[in-house]
Amino acid sequence: MNLSQSLRGYLKPFTESVLAILIGVLVGAIVLWASGYDAIAAYKALVVGSVSSLTNFAQTLSQSTPLILTALTFAVGSRTGLFNIGAEGTVYFGAIAAVGISQAIPNPLSGIIAGILVGALWALPAALLKVYRGVHEVISTIMLNWIAFYLAVWLALSVFVSPSNANRTVAIPPSARLPLLMRNTTLSWGFVVAVLTAIVVYVIMWHTKLGYEMRANGYNPRAAEYGGINPKAAAIWSFVIGGMTAGLAGAVQVMGVPPSYAISQGLANVYGYGFDGIGVSLVGRDHPIGIIFSGILFGALGAGATKMQQAGVPLEMVKVIEGIIIVAVAIPGLLDLINRMFRRGRV
Amino acid sequence: MEERTPVLEMRDIVKVYSDGTRALNGVTIKVYKGEIFGLLGENGAGKTTLMKILFGMLKPTAGKIFFQGSEVHFKSPADAIARGIGMVHQHFTLVEVFTALENIILGKEGHGLFSKIDVKNAKKKLQTLMDELNFQVPLDVPVENLPVGIQQRIEILKMLYRNVDVLILDEPTAVLTPIEVKELFDVLRKLKAQGKTIIFISHKLNEVMEITDRVTVIRKGKVIGTVNTSDATPQLLARMMVGRDVVLRIQKKPHKPGKTVFRVEDLWVKGDRGEDAVRGLSFEVKAGEIFGIAGVEGNGQSELIEAIAGLRDVEKGRVYLMGKDITGKKPRELYDMGIAHIPEDRTHMGLILEMSVMENAILGMYWRREFSNGWRLIDWGKVEGHAKELIDEFEIVAPGTRRPVKSLSGGNQQKLIVAREVSKRPEFIIAAQPTRGVDVASTEYIRNYLVKLRDEDKAVLLVSADLDEVLQLSDRMAIMYEGQFMGVVKPDEVTEEQIGLMMGGVSQ
Ligand SMILES: Nc1ncnc2c1ncn2[C@@H]1O[C@H](COP(=O)(O)OP(=O)(O)O)[C@@H](O)[C@H]1O
Ligand SMILES: [Mg+2]
Repeated sequence: MNLSQSLRGYLKPFTESVLAILIGVLVGAIVLWASGYDAIAAYKALVVGSVSSLTNFAQTLSQSTPLILTALTFAVGSRTGLFNIGAEGTVYFGAIAAVGISQAIPNPLSGIIAGILVGALWALPAALLKVYRGVHEVISTIMLNWIAFYLAVWLALSVFVSPSNANRTVAIPPSARLPLLMRNTTLSWGFVVAVLTAIVVYVIMWHTKLGYEMRANGYNPRAAEYGGINPKAAAIWSFVIGGMTAGLAGAVQVMGVPPSYAISQGLANVYGYGFDGIGVSLVGRDHPIGIIFSGILFGALGAGATKMQQAGVPLEMVKVIEGIIIVAVAIPGLLDLINRMFRRGRV
Repeated sequence: MEERTPVLEMRDIVKVYSDGTRALNGVTIKVYKGEIFGLLGENGAGKTTLMKILFGMLKPTAGKIFFQGSEVHFKSPADAIARGIGMVHQHFTLVEVFTALENIILGKEGHGLFSKIDVKNAKKKLQTLMDELNFQVPLDVPVENLPVGIQQRIEILKMLYRNVDVLILDEPTAVLTPIEVKELFDVLRKLKAQGKTIIFISHKLNEVMEITDRVTVIRKGKVIGTVNTSDATPQLLARMMVGRDVVLRIQKKPHKPGKTVFRVEDLWVKGDRGEDAVRGLSFEVKAGEIFGIAGVEGNGQSELIEAIAGLRDVEKGRVYLMGKDITGKKPRELYDMGIAHIPEDRTHMGLILEMSVMENAILGMYWRREFSNGWRLIDWGKVEGHAKELIDEFEIVAPGTRRPVKSLSGGNQQKLIVAREVSKRPEFIIAAQPTRGVDVASTEYIRNYLVKLRDEDKAVLLVSADLDEVLQLSDRMAIMYEGQFMGVVKPDEVTEEQIGLMMGGVSQ
């Protein structure tokens, strides 16, 4: 009885998401075909590139790693009634922190802890602005993302620049790297860290008092306050937990991805994950376990894209197809989100 | 006067809402041209329903409407406006981000898809209208930045701009300051002089006495009578408004008040608009008694409750629970000290509709040790057990403890709240509108439960707009009007005339 009740709660979002994926794939095929490409061959390349072999699947999982972590940032915010899009900037600092600390204390744990701590710290400005000054988090996190970007570029180019290669930072020493799970791939223990983090976030949100407070506040701040919850504390914790997972994303990305184990010029290898995480979270219905799967789906799209290019589809077209699938898949989650925001009487 | 033919007649109007509520039971009113016609009745009498029917917003279940000599069937407000009947609602309908001008001409000017709106001309026309009436509003400021009094003027101008002959005002003074009321009345008199007909809805006796020519009193969906205002006295109107059938008294043991559990001293609280909503209240609630607060809604009851429940700042004054000063304490502390609160707004405050029944069953008590496991995590097994206890004890009909609480009916939602609050084992219970919108069976259950708590020596503060409820349940009761008590009385020692007068703002 109880089990079936809970399952019923999950079945609807799950089928909706699967349906959306199929629709996205179909529309993508039509666009490909209308533009004169061989849709079948292109999709074949996509599937081959992402799941056909263990190596390719490892690639998929590797690409999903930072996405799962940044999606958690958005999901925790969204569940608390916040539109926190500050993961992007936080990722940069998480990466910088890992590079920095590894020079002094070269072991993986120190990098991970540093990423998490710096992420939590960087979440505070937006959190405090929101709670004490009423600044909307979309505004503050967008601005903070830019501040983070330039600050991180400067740190990468001046403080942590590699003495031998001006195009990247110093590398993380081998003893501080996350070991690979599979040789000749980029899949490291980082993926395990991401999945464990998702599970921890799930436990926090659904099995702790803090999670109850955050979720209650997300649905209805007025009722939450009536229920003895401090809305300010709930919001601050939501930003901080979100900052931690985003900071961790940055750290894991530099500590776990060969060959460079460093931040490249223009933050190229840590850039964009924060924003992609929003889509991943929407597809995963802002639920940590859903996010593990949607993160893998997005990772597959990323890994398959390379193969699609090799099948003669230009990169732009590959991006278009990726976009269509993401939009289609994100729509149910987006409706969910709008619905929740609307119910709270704010957009 | 009576031999003239009315400009408007609503004949034998019956309205049964889809949920079965009989809001109107054969109401007939006649309104003559150029008069200010008063419609008086307490909360829930059916005033708004009757006017919404006239304005084409609701379809009557039965009955006819005659306007300017012929029968009319308005299908929408636009229909009614086209025929010359306009209404200003109790709750405004302006587009907040639009300016006054935009709101007024919205839907009136520029019909075709590409037709140009002649803003200049519209503005000129409006300015003339405002000058004539000496009724100014800033036309170019977004409405959300304007005070409520001005927003109401905009609503009135919006109707006048559409050239209505009959203007319905649903409780227009509820949101106004005394000065604004005076200004509104000046405008109404000018409109009357211009030959417009005005239907003025209110429950405030003094206002009805001051502004109307004739008044029809309705009670529980029936017309009690119509009088010329010049022949009426506030006492007469009060009797007509609240006079009621003998109500079945709930079984209660004799009132044996114990020690003072809850006390309020010179309490001042501000409302959302910064006005003084509660003005220097002092009262106490003893163990083993129900202290009721009656009065028409919007007279500061909500602000009073929120302030003592830790949800609104106290401007001045003190609140004590069992001798301890609890002024300014947060809800969580208050619950731990022995307060329980059944809030007036079930769906926006008392419950989180999207969360499950069991998650709602621990709102306001989720931190208690009894719901944690050894890891200090929430033990959902225990929570579910608790939810099931509430469901069993209060005979709540719920499809399952893990289903969202919005899947419960209103009555069952309310029972869940009452059950949860009682399970906090409080010494002092605030029950605000505990049976509003609740089915008859649940209402009886909840009322009896409040009496049971009283008999168990708890202190109960009952705040309700339902006068019968307050009369039946309370051991002592106060009538609140504009933030103050008009009197504190015993329900069986007070006449309905006295209550009516106090509810209408006449102190005893
Ligand atoms: N939409 C609705 N559905 C069901 N019942 C309603 C609805 N609106 C009002 N009622 C009920 O109809 C009765 C008359 O309400 P209303 O016309 O608003 O009274 P008034 O304006 O005199 O306070 C009340 O019992 C109220 O609860
Ligand atoms: Mg009304």
